[in-house]
Amino acid sequence: MTELAQAVVNGLQMGFLYALVAVGLTIIWGLMEMINFAHGEFLMLGMFGAWWLGAAFGLEPLLAIVPIALVMYAFGVLVYRHLMRRVQGGDPFTQIFATIGLLFLLQNAVVAGFTSDYRFVNDSLLVRLGGAKLALLGLTFAMPLLLAAGLALLLFLALYLLIERTEFGLALQATSEDRDAARLVGIRPQRMFAVAWGLGAALVAVAGAILVNFFSVYPQVGLQFTVLAYAIVALGGFGSILGTLLAALLVGVIQSVTVVYLPPAFKDAFVFASYLLIGLVRPQGLSGRF
Amino acid sequence: MARIALVIGAIAAIVYPIPLQLQGTTYYQTVGFLVLVNAMLGVGWNVIGGWAGQFDFGPQVFFAVGAYTSALLYVKLGVDAWLGLPVAVAAAALICAVLTYPLTRLRGHYFAISTVAIWMIAQPIGATWEYIGAAQGLFIPVKPRTGVLASALSLQFSGPTKAMGYYYAALVLFAFTLALMAVVERSKLGYYFRAIRDDQEAAEGIGIDSRLYKVIARSITAAVFAAAGVLYAFWALSVFPEQVLELNWSTLPIMATVVGGIGRLWGPVLGAVILIPISQIMSTTLGTGPLAGRGIDLIVYGLIIIVIAAFRPTGLLSLPWSRWFRPGPATA
Repeated sequence: MTELAQAVVNGLQMGFLYALVAVGLTIIWGLMEMINFAHGEFLMLGMFGAWWLGAAFGLEPLLAIVPIALVMYAFGVLVYRHLMRRVQGGDPFTQIFATIGLLFLLQNAVVAGFTSDYRFVNDSLLVRLGGAKLALLGLTFAMPLLLAAGLALLLFLALYLLIERTEFGLALQATSEDRDAARLVGIRPQRMFAVAWGLGAALVAVAGAILVNFFSVYPQVGLQFTVLAYAIVALGGFGSILGTLLAALLVGVIQSVTVVYLPPAFKDAFVFASYLLIGLVRPQGLSGRF
Repeated sequence: MARIALVIGAIAAIVYPIPLQLQGTTYYQTVGFLVLVNAMLGVGWNVIGGWAGQFDFGPQVFFAVGAYTSALLYVKLGVDAWLGLPVAVAAAALICAVLTYPLTRLRGHYFAISTVAIWMIAQPIGATWEYIGAAQGLFIPVKPRTGVLASALSLQFSGPTKAMGYYYAALVLFAFTLALMAVVERSKLGYYFRAIRDDQEAAEGIGIDSRLYKVIARSITAAVFAAAGVLYAFWALSVFPEQVLELNWSTLPIMATVVGGIGRLWGPVLGAVILIPISQIMSTTLGTGPLAGRGIDLIVYGLIIIVIAAFRPTGLLSLPWSRWFRPGPATA
């Protein structure tokens, strides 16, 4: 029983990190209705950035978040302006292909630059905390994961406020609801799309910079997070920021509970089985609205 | 024009391995084999992706079903590959139909992700199911065959003619698939598929059961993938989950389809002829230099896909070739 409760608690903490991984996709895919199959590659770039800044300049990954967010924001805007804007109006298929091309390009550009070797961050604040634990109600909380989850939650809440409570956020939502009407009230949709791509890329890259404390870094690391992020966004109901958080927590818990009873290979299988189940009986997602 | 190109292409495909065999460079026959396998997969994917317009990211599941079914029949019951092939194809089509019917309630991106979901669930099953050898998979022993005919009839080529034997086996399967799909394209089925792609509500309005025909389209795709899986299993002499469930079994054919021209019968063929040799040529020219094994071929793939998506999403075959190659003033 405690084993199960412990698994749930661990899954919830992981879920906060997944929420930050997925929320960039919620903006690009859910809100702005554009597809991005290179989402995990943006995350991989964030992970590599954090690892490289640490290895070359001794920068703490949690501080590297700032330059990574800025660079990846600019990168996201560039990707929109020079590639995605071109394919936006056409068949939705072309967006899938354009971003699959981007996936291959980014992944293998990193292979060309850094090889496919696995790399590890072993001199960061969170890694040095290593064995530190917090015991509460018979459950243990590993300090690194707890702190990372807390940081992810903070960033997530900041984004939530940005989207739901500011004029900018309203403009973004207005563009998502009706592009032409938004234009009539003086919102420039192209600019909103560019900002959405910038935000999406920056958020997932920041998530990557936090994840380097727990996962090894290699060029192909992105795909597993891409597929998880898609499942989370769809589970959460497209475009719903809080739905994304809920779905991410659910995915984290499903993964860690699965591993208690079944071989680790099955941990994603049950996430996707629940995607299928929920997709078939409740197609609007956990908290989506029609 | 098109007919001349077809005849030249067919002759080239048939003659291709012979000078290589005389020179003893069987490596390029294997390149040809991979081109044909991917072209065949692309022609199969075109049915669900190009004609029915449903983005399927998980057809590699049925490649695996085909490979495993034929390998099991051979290893456990001693059934030869050509006899196992129809069983494998039927099994894949049936499993696909059962799995896909509920998925057709989902549309667009939701459907695409549900096909990924099936793939994600298939991987741990393949890796842990003891009957099919779990992570180690199955090994296909080569039985000694006397003569070319015995090898061809059992789909087991070995020795110096191995590469050529599998090349021609792939050519036969590819040509059969292409001919069959040419019939499907012009049949009632083909028109139904495209009607659903172009406007699902309108198609339903004239009485087309869109869910049923999506299932049929995907089962045809699954059948082609299974047949290619059988061929691949007997070429590789082994079947294990990481190999037959690899994502490349869908991404390469899909990329070939897009580059050549999605929804066009010959699109995937042109795409495969262009794309597949790139990685082989790259690995030969880069040799053991500093950039060897650094994914340069995949960077080139990525760039090609991006350029096609951005400038000519309908693919290379949609360019006005006949206008460029016809002498005199262009006719509409």
